Amino acid sequence: MASSTIVESLRKQIASCEAQLKDLRRQLAEAEHYQQQQREQDSLHQTTAAYSDPFTHDMSYGIHDDFRSEVFAALSHVEVGSPSRKWPLDKTEYKRYGRQLIMPEIGLQGQLCLKEASVLIVGVGGLGCPAAAYLVGSGVGTVGLIDGDIVEESNLHRQVLHSTASVGMSKVDSARVALNSLNPNVRLVAHPSRLTSESAISILQDYDVVLDCTDTPASRYLISDACVLLGKPLVSASALRTDGQLMVLNYPPRPVGDPSGGPCYRCVFPKPPPAESVVSCGDGGILGPVVGVMGVLQALEAIKLLTRQTNEVFRHVEPKPADPPTLLIFSAYSNPMFRSIRLRNRRQKCAACSAQSSVTPEALKSGSLDYVQFCGTISPINALASNERISAENYAKIRLEVNPYTGMEPDKDSHILVDVREKVQFGLCSLEGSLNVPFSTITTTLPNLANTWHNDEIPQAQGWVTELKNHPEKPIFVICRLGNDSQLSVKKMKELGLDHSGQRWIGDIKGGLKAWRNNVDREFPEY
Amino acid sequence: MAPAKGHFTILYFAAAASFTARSTDELPAPVQACSLFAQLEERYPGITLKVLSSCAVTVNLEYIDIDEDDGLTIKEGDEVAIIPPVSSG
Repeated sequence: MASSTIVESLRKQIASCEAQLKDLRRQLAEAEHYQQQQREQDSLHQTTAAYSDPFTHDMSYGIHDDFRSEVFAALSHVEVGSPSRKWPLDKTEYKRYGRQLIMPEIGLQGQLCLKEASVLIVGVGGLGCPAAAYLVGSGVGTVGLIDGDIVEESNLHRQVLHSTASVGMSKVDSARVALNSLNPNVRLVAHPSRLTSESAISILQDYDVVLDCTDTPASRYLISDACVLLGKPLVSASALRTDGQLMVLNYPPRPVGDPSGGPCYRCVFPKPPPAESVVSCGDGGILGPVVGVMGVLQALEAIKLLTRQTNEVFRHVEPKPADPPTLLIFSAYSNPMFRSIRLRNRRQKCAACSAQSSVTPEALKSGSLDYVQFCGTISPINALASNERISAENYAKIRLEVNPYTGMEPDKDSHILVDVREKVQFGLCSLEGSLNVPFSTITTTLPNLANTWHNDEIPQAQGWVTELKNHPEKPIFVICRLGNDSQLSVKKMKELGLDHSGQRWIGDIKGGLKAWRNNVDREFPEY
Repeated sequence: MAPAKGHFTILYFAAAASFTARSTDELPAPVQACSLFAQLEERYPGITLKVLSSCAVTVNLEYIDIDEDDGLTIKEGDEVAIIPPVSSG
């Protein structure tokens, strides 16, 4: 408690010092600018002074003193004030953006388009961090950031704007610090809460382009619907494990019912995946560069969208119809790594963008469209009776303590502990003496093994059943990471007859290894 | 790589690859697109409900609509892809 207060206080101090420093830098820049102007004006006035001798002025100019000083003022205004007005960009901007300015795809006009533009980044995680970094780096005028989460240690391997010091901070604040130091010219707008259907329209309407960098099916449908209603192009990306997807949706952003507009998320994926099959990065894993690639590509697509007009007007390229809609699939361990799928136009019966649309701004604002319900929810698994379950603490007693009732010494061999996590996770850390039978193996084991489709997998699948059948007298304790798969495994084991018609006890350890770590062994690794 | 004679290649991405525990199969061609899911269900019981129902399907890198593209036939040498929506990020 005390140490967290200290950390909090130090963070506040650092933030305050950084704000002061930023303010000082701004003041210095202004002071230097003023000094420079003063010098230039002084040199001009000196010249003026040489001629403003009362005896010579009439001869030299033949005009009234007052009028003459006005002329000088106007002249000096033009000469001294011009450096910042003569060029459309500030001289520091020429330098900062020089490497992209000299490219015909961007050029001066493209840079001005970026400067005028506003982009909203929904989700400042694995996708949003790299996307925001490149967009802010490129000089997009306004970048909005939405996220309701706080930075966790397990985010840092991929969420490149957050640092070790910002663990515990809101993601939006952490990203603002990093982005502001990257490019202080960009106006950052913070929305430090989760996007809801009630707030979506009012937040999204202020931006030119929206980037979907979120992590749930519900938010993907919500953002897409809001973009369709508001006529905003949407750059949508996602990533899990070694796979990623990228689409530019609702582009061109024609009105609802106009078949010439680009397809929306619902056109491509009209049905959400079943909730129980949706895997998060926390459960499925994610490789940093995989999600990084997708986020970087989102920034690229956004830049292309924002500077598109430039290319047509200033490079004298014929205005051509928008590129046909595509779904880019990235698969890091496949060959080729990228596949570009040609998508169709808007779906005739699309619930959002077709003439038969049922999604309206009113429905969105009132919250009557329930995206969470549309995508389904998973209720916590409660598949076993209470006598089929044991707490981590009580299981620890069986392993570590003398049985208070029977006086028996603890014995790891008195029972079988089956860990049903996948092999990779089992390899990270496991309880001593546990037997690994991955959940995927258990669920695909058929009661009659002859029915198994892949012949080569029979011995392995049969192996674990046989091994457990070899010790019919020993009770089986099943453990997993969080206590869900273990319950389903117990049920499956009973279906496979491993409980010998109820003669052998099979049950699971409630709350899995997480409960073991929290309640028994604090040293057991958390991942 | 071209599939064996009389076959088409089917690629599984993301959740489809996890469910089938493989990234590709070679299946006999020709086959009606509308009967593809039934064939996959036979090989991988449960796949229709858990994976295929929400997937995008492509033939030779073009999006197809299994429900509405009546009469579309998957031919020998075609490359079919099963693309579940990835929603994490």
